[in-house]
Amino acid sequence: MRDVSFGQYYPVSSPIHRLDPRTKLLSVIIYMVALFFVSRFTGFGIMALFLFIAVIVSRVPIGKVLRSVRAVLFLLIFTMLITFLFTKGEPDKLIWEFGILHLYWDGLFMSLKLCIRLILLVLGPALLTLTTTPIELTDGLESLLKPLSLIKIPVHELAIIMSIALRLIPTLMEETDKIINAQKARCADFDSGNIFKRAKAMLPVLIPLFVSSFRRADDLADAMDSRCYKGAKGRTRMRVLKFRFRDFLFLFIMAALFTVILFLRYNWLNWQFIAVLW
Amino acid sequence: MGFVEFQNVSFSYNEGYEAQTRALENVSFSVEEGEFVALVGHNGSGKSTVAKLMNALLLPSAGRVIVDGMDTSDKKSLFEIRKRVGVVFQNPDNQMIATIIEDDVAFGPENIGLKSDEIRKRVDWALEAVGMSEHKKGTPFRLSGGQKQRIAIAGVLAVKPRVLVLDESTAMLDPSGREEVMSVVERLNREEKMTVVMITHFMDEALKADRMIVLSDGKVLMNGGRELFERTDEIKRAGLDLPVAGYVADKLRKSGVPLPSPITDENELVEALCRLKFKN
Repeated sequence: MRDVSFGQYYPVSSPIHRLDPRTKLLSVIIYMVALFFVSRFTGFGIMALFLFIAVIVSRVPIGKVLRSVRAVLFLLIFTMLITFLFTKGEPDKLIWEFGILHLYWDGLFMSLKLCIRLILLVLGPALLTLTTTPIELTDGLESLLKPLSLIKIPVHELAIIMSIALRLIPTLMEETDKIINAQKARCADFDSGNIFKRAKAMLPVLIPLFVSSFRRADDLADAMDSRCYKGAKGRTRMRVLKFRFRDFLFLFIMAALFTVILFLRYNWLNWQFIAVLW
Repeated sequence: MGFVEFQNVSFSYNEGYEAQTRALENVSFSVEEGEFVALVGHNGSGKSTVAKLMNALLLPSAGRVIVDGMDTSDKKSLFEIRKRVGVVFQNPDNQMIATIIEDDVAFGPENIGLKSDEIRKRVDWALEAVGMSEHKKGTPFRLSGGQKQRIAIAGVLAVKPRVLVLDESTAMLDPSGREEVMSVVERLNREEKMTVVMITHFMDEALKADRMIVLSDGKVLMNGGRELFERTDEIKRAGLDLPVAGYVADKLRKSGVPLPSPITDENELVEALCRLKFKN
């Protein structure tokens, strides 16, 4: 149960955990944008080093962070192979050729970079969700997107929908279990037959689940009304998000990182040492 | 004039449609501040409709519901009425808004726009009042039904209503959960001077109230104190069970044992029986 509503939150106390969720959200965005500006191995090295330090500081076991790569493993191998096999490089750097397939050193480097970029892209947000509860994330998002309510986007409503969804997931899962057991007790068969048969067998589970969800929604609306809910207007929060010194410090570090990456890419001042870097 | 006043209230679901069903008919009663009133009736007697009429979740088809001098059908006073009358419903799972207990309790005070530290004070107070302070950072999912319902009560309390309405809030709980909730409610009535309207079909719970209103088929059948328990036949006709002690006393009386009346709980019964034996 706990796993769902807390996402993959890893409950320890660390400077990263204590950061304002908005800081973390912004940082992840900066981090991901920066990754797309990286074109050299040095840049990837810097990004990886930064992430590594952040993981150490967050006191989340590295294995837990790395596990998130598993979700994209297939995509990773697939794109790597495709780029490797189909990228043409300079003719004198050809390693091996067979029909339309060819291996060039350039292709190898390119697919390596792609692979590193993908991995780093996955790890950043993984660290975010490991150190921030879904509730904090929702609050952070609501606060960050607040300006959008000026152009009539219902930010508060979306946020409350999200938090109610989070709240209801375990309840609905419990309900599903109950219904499945009730159907099994009346000899429903969920475990045999092909995939279509099984999908069809789920129908008598889904219908009661739907009906009860609507009933729950009705009850919840009554309960919310009874507790004086009237939308975002005039609503305050108990947990007020506040930028502290550490948030500014962290965002400053992110800005510095971003600048370094941009310099590595564009070398505006034509520094010699940047030009020779890999 | 009482704090909550029902004046000739009628209510129908699906008004104006073919499926129109009358839930309440010409119901009048009032609840004074500080009172503990039990509203009893069997299924379909209209008692849950009463709860929803009290804080303007439903509006009467005819008649008026007055809360603290305000008419519930007046849209302008809607939130003032809801601030005064808090309703706790039957299923605790369907009343939780947040994943963390203190966030859930904070929902009400957040809606009425209090300052952050005031909200925190109220949340702490409300959780203390229902005896759930030690769980405040936890999630409600692992808790027992009684504990969840106590949190739902805290969520309503945090708004600081003057009247607490419990709409069959113990119906889904096991006996120990029911006892937990009842003792919290009784204490709130006694110590915090909270007005309580307890809607239930358990007569044992109704016994704890100062006054009992019996609803049957959308009408008020009886309205009064403990002496109502004497009217055993009428209670049975309303589709309600007598409390066990009362039931036993009734049977004994009918088979010729001269017991005084009313007898409502075990202690009274034991005492009456002992006296009887002493006399012989």
